[in-house]
Amino acid sequence: MIEPDGIAATGPAPEADGLAPPPDHRQLFFGMMQVALSAFGGGLSAWSQRIIVEQRRWMDNTSFLTGLTVARLFPGPNQINMAVYIGARFQGLSGALAALAGMLLVPFSLLMLVGLAYFSFSSLPLVDRLLAGVVTAAAGLALSMGFKILHQYQRDPVALLLALATFVAMSVFHIRLIPVVLVAGPLAMAWYWPRGSTGSDIEP
Amino acid sequence: MTTALLLVSHCTPKSLGDWANLLAVIRDFLSLSLFSLGGGNTLLTEYHELSVGEYCWITSDQFADLYALAEAAPGPSSMLVGLLGMGAAWREGPGWALLSAVVAEIAILLPSTLLMVFAALSWNRFQGSPWRIAFERGLGPITLGILFAVGLKILHTSDHGVPAYLVSIAVCVLTLRTRISPLWFMAIAGLLGGIGLINR
Repeated sequence: MIEPDGIAATGPAPEADGLAPPPDHRQLFFGMMQVALSAFGGGLSAWSQRIIVEQRRWMDNTSFLTGLTVARLFPGPNQINMAVYIGARFQGLSGALAALAGMLLVPFSLLMLVGLAYFSFSSLPLVDRLLAGVVTAAAGLALSMGFKILHQYQRDPVALLLALATFVAMSVFHIRLIPVVLVAGPLAMAWYWPRGSTGSDIEP
Repeated sequence: MTTALLLVSHCTPKSLGDWANLLAVIRDFLSLSLFSLGGGNTLLTEYHELSVGEYCWITSDQFADLYALAEAAPGPSSMLVGLLGMGAAWREGPGWALLSAVVAEIAILLPSTLLMVFAALSWNRFQGSPWRIAFERGLGPITLGILFAVGLKILHTSDHGVPAYLVSIAVCVLTLRTRISPLWFMAIAGLLGGIGLINR
């Protein structure tokens, strides 16, 4: 189904560089669970690097950073993609599922408890008043997401124009996400298609 | 309270007991999965559109609550879908609500996970490809535009009245300028709501 040469070419040689032997499914599951638990206060990427590269020595730093690049590039939540990347590299699809399960089990179970509590008690006036406040802070966080990456595009007027057009299409004309991406995506890709040069500027 | 009742009454909830409905909902989430650019937050307007508008599972206020809870809870913030799934089946009882939550989360993660497995195993062939470069550079600005649209949507969903907007803007500025944990902002804003300074 999927060619194994991807693993052979990029996978670590167990004896080289003091790397540990490739983790099995159980190790992937518990390793990712450790990452998820360590990161309860935030900083998931940093924790996963510390545990996967330094502590368990499953891969070297270069492979880890490549994984992070791929995880950010492809659709899906970044941290979840990173777990899938690590699992897939060592044990294929089933390894990816083991890593994913390890990463999600505890946080998702906790969130389910939060959800059950919410739907049971949100009609209480005090809870409703507290939440009316909490949501304004969460909205502030949501508002900051765009500003956080805005500086990356400050010197690129075309990028800003594309961003503005996307924003106007969604917020003013209420066009849904999928048509917006299907129209704007190919246009943007055509504009940014690498031309002429040797591709020496590939690295981010 | 009255606004909530009005919101409930303007549409009838899409029941998941009906097989056709259930499959349609799963199909919607499966197809959204591959459009979760930039880490998944780009899907938030779609989640609102579907769960509040089209399916009529929860009210807009409840959506704002669930978004805030998913942000506050530890772990990947994309687990909001699980909470939406729970809201979808809450009327049928907690057991069904939990099952619905798990199914929703699987549906939103499955396609992007399969694609990621493929990417992990064949990255070497994509690395220098012009498709990859164009994709990375082109989708960046679009993600930027979507994130602003998402921010505005969440703002309008969550905030009612001047004090609420002031708090949101203050939190936005402080998040960008300082390294204070978001949980502090939520705790303080919750307190302001508790003593009645922020209403909805």
